[in-house]
Amino acid sequence: MEPFVFFGGKGGVGKTTVSCAYGLRCARDGHRTLVVSTDPAHSVTDVFDQPFDDTPEPVAGIDRLDAMQLDPEDEVTRHLDEIRQDLSEQVSAAMVNEINRQLEMAHGTPGAYESALFDRFVDVMRNSESYDRVVFDTAPSGSTLRLLGLPDLLESWIDRLMYKRRTSIDLFEKAAIGNNEPRRVMEGDPVLARLEERKEFFDFAGKALQDDAAFFIVLNPDELSLNETERSIADLREKEFAVRGLVANKLTPSPDPDENGRGARYLRDRVETERAHLETIREEFDPPLVAEIGWRVAEVKGDLLSDVADELDIETSVEAPTHV
Amino acid sequence: MELADRIEAFRRTLSEWLRGLYHGMISHPAYEKIEKEAEDAEDAFLLACFPDAFGIPSPVSYYTAELLPYLEDEFEAWERRLWDRGTYLERKGQQYHF
Repeated sequence: MEPFVFFGGKGGVGKTTVSCAYGLRCARDGHRTLVVSTDPAHSVTDVFDQPFDDTPEPVAGIDRLDAMQLDPEDEVTRHLDEIRQDLSEQVSAAMVNEINRQLEMAHGTPGAYESALFDRFVDVMRNSESYDRVVFDTAPSGSTLRLLGLPDLLESWIDRLMYKRRTSIDLFEKAAIGNNEPRRVMEGDPVLARLEERKEFFDFAGKALQDDAAFFIVLNPDELSLNETERSIADLREKEFAVRGLVANKLTPSPDPDENGRGARYLRDRVETERAHLETIREEFDPPLVAEIGWRVAEVKGDLLSDVADELDIETSVEAPTHV
Repeated sequence: MELADRIEAFRRTLSEWLRGLYHGMISHPAYEKIEKEAEDAEDAFLLACFPDAFGIPSPVSYYTAELLPYLEDEFEAWERRLWDRGTYLERKGQQYHF
C-alpha cells in the first residue's frame, strides 16, 4: 500500500487512537514508521504517555516507531518569523513598519492555519526518506479536506500571479529608453523565483497526495458521524483521492444473554441501533469497513493500544513513494 | 571660422534639436505610456497578491506574504499610486499630453 496514510473523520471519533494503533502495527511488522499528529490537544502525547514536539522522536518501548506533533499556531508564528527575518535583511527600516502591517494581516486570514499545516505535511512527506511509512492523524474533516484540495487551487493561483508579474516586468523592460536601466528585470527576479519555488512545492504536493497517499475515515456508529463520513467520501472523491476504507470506532459491547437489568437492556438497544448503522455502512458505502473497534473502559494506551492494533484489518505492506 | 566649421556646428545643433523634438514628441510619451501600463500591470499583480489590504480574504496571502521582503519598492509605489489616483479615468488621462 501507499507510503503515506491519512486518517480523517469528525472530531472526537478517535482518529488519534486509530492512527497510533496503525503506526504501532506497521512498526511491529518491521516498517520504520512515523506518526504525525496535528491535533492541538496533544493526544499523541497522551496515547504514548510521552511528550512530543515538532521534531520526530522515537516512541519509548516500541522499535521503529517515531512520533511528532504539529501545532498550527506555532507553525504560523514560525513562518511569520522567517519572513520578518528576510524583511530585516532586505528592506529599509522606514518601510519595515509599513510592510509589517500587511504581513500581520496576511497571517490573520482564516486560511493561515490550514496553509501552515499543509506546508508542514508536505515538508514531512518530502523529507521522509528515513521512514517506510508516514501516518498522518489529521485535523477534523472539514478543514482537512480543504487542506488536501489546496494544491490544485494554489497552483493555478500562482500561475496567474507569475503571468501578471512577467507582463509587468516585460513592459518595464520595454519602457527603458535607450541605454537606461529598466526599473525591473526579468533575469533573476527574486519574486518570480519565489513564486516558481512555491509552484514546484504545490506540484509535488498534488502528485504525492494523488499517487502516494491512502485515505481512511474513522467514524462512530451514529447518525451524525455517518452523514459526515458520506460527505467526506464524496468530497475526497471529487478531488480524485480514493478512500481506501472506513474504521468504525467506539462500538458498544453487548451484554451477556442471561443479563436483564436496566444497564443490560440499555446496552442491548444501543448495540441494536449500532448494528443497523453498521449495516448501512456495509451496504450503502463504497469503501469497505476495515475495522470494528469496541469501546474501551480505560484510556487507550499501552497494552490496550496493542489490542486495538490487532483489530485493525489494514494491510501494512509498503510501496516506495513515486515522487519523493 | 571656416565655412566648413560653421556648417558642422549648425548641423550639430540641428541634429540635437531634432533628436530632442523627436524624443519629446514621439519617443518619450510612448515610453511613458508603456511605463504607466507596466505600473498598471504591477498594480494588478500586487492587488492579486494582497487583496486582504482591501478587506478581501485571499487563500494565498499566507504564501504571497513571503514575497513582501522582495517587493519593497513596488509596495511603496503601489500604495502611493493608490492614494494619488482619483479615478481610473484620471490615471488613463495622465498618459496623454494635450
